[in-house]
Amino acid sequence: MHSPKFLKNPNRRRLLFFIFLGWLLLLIGDRVDELRVYQGALIAIYTLAIGSVILLTGYSGQLSIGHGAFMAVGAYAAALTQIYFSPPIIITFLAAVIITAIFGALLGGGAARLSGPYLAGTTLALALGLPTLANQFEFLGGETGLSFDVGFPPERYGFDFTLYKWFFWIAALATLIMFWVMQNILKSRYGRAWKAGRSNQAAAELLGIHVGRRKVLAFTVSAGVAGLAGALLGMISIVSPSAFPLSLSFAIITGAVLAGLTSLAGSILGGLTLVIIPEIAEAISKNVSESEAVSANVPGLITGVLLILTVLFAPNGPAEQWHHHKEKKKLKAKSKGS
Amino acid sequence: MQQLINTLLIGVSIGSIYALMALALVLVWRSTRVVNFAQAGQAILSTYIAWEVVNRSGSFLMAFILAVAIGGLIGGLVESGLMRVLLKHANEGPVAAVAPVIATLGLLAVIRAVVGLIWTNEGKRFESPVSTAGFVIGDATLPFSRLNLLIIVTAAVVMIIFSIIFQKTNLGLALRAAAYNPEIARLSGVRVATTRTIGWIFAGAAGAVAGILVSPNDSLTPNSLDTLLVFGFVAAVIGGLESLIGAVVGGLVLGVGLSFVLIYLGTSLIFPTTFVVLVLILLLKPAGLFGAKGARSA
Repeated sequence: MHSPKFLKNPNRRRLLFFIFLGWLLLLIGDRVDELRVYQGALIAIYTLAIGSVILLTGYSGQLSIGHGAFMAVGAYAAALTQIYFSPPIIITFLAAVIITAIFGALLGGGAARLSGPYLAGTTLALALGLPTLANQFEFLGGETGLSFDVGFPPERYGFDFTLYKWFFWIAALATLIMFWVMQNILKSRYGRAWKAGRSNQAAAELLGIHVGRRKVLAFTVSAGVAGLAGALLGMISIVSPSAFPLSLSFAIITGAVLAGLTSLAGSILGGLTLVIIPEIAEAISKNVSESEAVSANVPGLITGVLLILTVLFAPNGPAEQWHHHKEKKKLKAKSKGS
Repeated sequence: MQQLINTLLIGVSIGSIYALMALALVLVWRSTRVVNFAQAGQAILSTYIAWEVVNRSGSFLMAFILAVAIGGLIGGLVESGLMRVLLKHANEGPVAAVAPVIATLGLLAVIRAVVGLIWTNEGKRFESPVSTAGFVIGDATLPFSRLNLLIIVTAAVVMIIFSIIFQKTNLGLALRAAAYNPEIARLSGVRVATTRTIGWIFAGAAGAVAGILVSPNDSLTPNSLDTLLVFGFVAAVIGGLESLIGAVVGGLVLGVGLSFVLIYLGTSLIFPTTFVVLVLILLLKPAGLFGAKGARSA
């Protein structure tokens, strides 16, 4: 089966790559301690959320600074589905994706007409206000929130298979599958149409691309993916308004910017950074002073400074910048040679 | 009838604070074409400074003047230290369009963190300089207090000062010209870069006033102005994001509208109403009530 011919097809190669990556992750997940496994799950979730922002902002050119709102919708959708219908866990996650995607489509219908600052402000308002709605309706659980219980890992995995490892498996698997799906969408004509619309709307329209409709589609897909990330986040913590604060939205957009808004593959870099920053902050506050003010504020300080520096010096992300740098060097070497 | 007047007065009082925040956002938007999300951060820093000065000296007036001046200074520093460099640097690549907005978000995070590091995240009580008990007419106590009156008067004074600067002085003419058409303004001898910095200074001062006015009688935390930022943005959008008068009208309309929602329908509908208003305005009248033609003349 592993004939070179089989591997020539880029789609199949991508699929194999993702399967290999999943296998590698599972191996790693078996060999590290509980805290790391939990962080691994968190990295997967952030990576997924960042991927959804990159899809929307980097590829389709619409800046959303309120993806925490979509994550909240996904989490509540999952929790409510689980509480009222308790279907198999896979169906719950699918429901979260579909419900959030519908929400995204409705919003995207309006958002597609908005440009830059208007869209950013509208999504900001959404991220700030939507989670507070939970306080107003009884069935959403108020400030204490709902618990989204995916149950214990199946017994056949053995007794030493912990709950966190189970979470990690689910989160990593969901993220891998979603990234595979997103990669395929981006390589399809839809992905190309988004890029075309982002680069030059008029030219794209001349080519017969309905840019508005494509933008709504980007919003829908991005919302669905973010909804899944939110459901996963709800799984490992709790589904409450305070689990989806404005700072979550900011963290996600920070991760996306740090990862480089133009490449989906960079998402993992962003996810890693978001999990590492609080660790660094903790280390700093342990060594400098034990005060709560330091440990609570250093993460914000680091993310803010990183955001500004990235925008100033590597607007397309560190990875892209590095690539650019190498290309320049190559070009220089060539011109010297001739 | 009495409740109607009360609602209206309270609405004007909240609305004038929204209007000041909207003014700050519009001033920056006109000069730099950036929606400055860090405005909430600049305002919170000024407000904490005011709180500190009130605590040390006991004088609200001194604290107010000092904090507003520092607010303006911060605005100027942000423009000349960050935005100018950024706009010079980042004008290539697909991310260029969103880069300034992202930078202001980063700045918001930085300022908040710095404020938290200096004053901790615990809520501070900002004592009101005047009584917050409602006026008493006959045997009825109104919800409208001296603090509300102070807010309205202060906001009105600030707006009058702004309108005098913009309508009657050469500086105002230069600011309007630079906002209307930077190239032609430059050709006719206006220092466009300087007017941009001045726009940010005014915005910083207006934001500081809004922050200081909204904080008394409430818990002051590093994020306590986030909602004000959103209401200010919505007010600015209602007014067309370009127009100074539009920002004021937008703020008042939003304040009075939300006040009615609050009193007749309940707190739970404040956010949904705001969001629906924002979306409706953006869909039906994206240029705002005072957009396009109106904006140019203000």
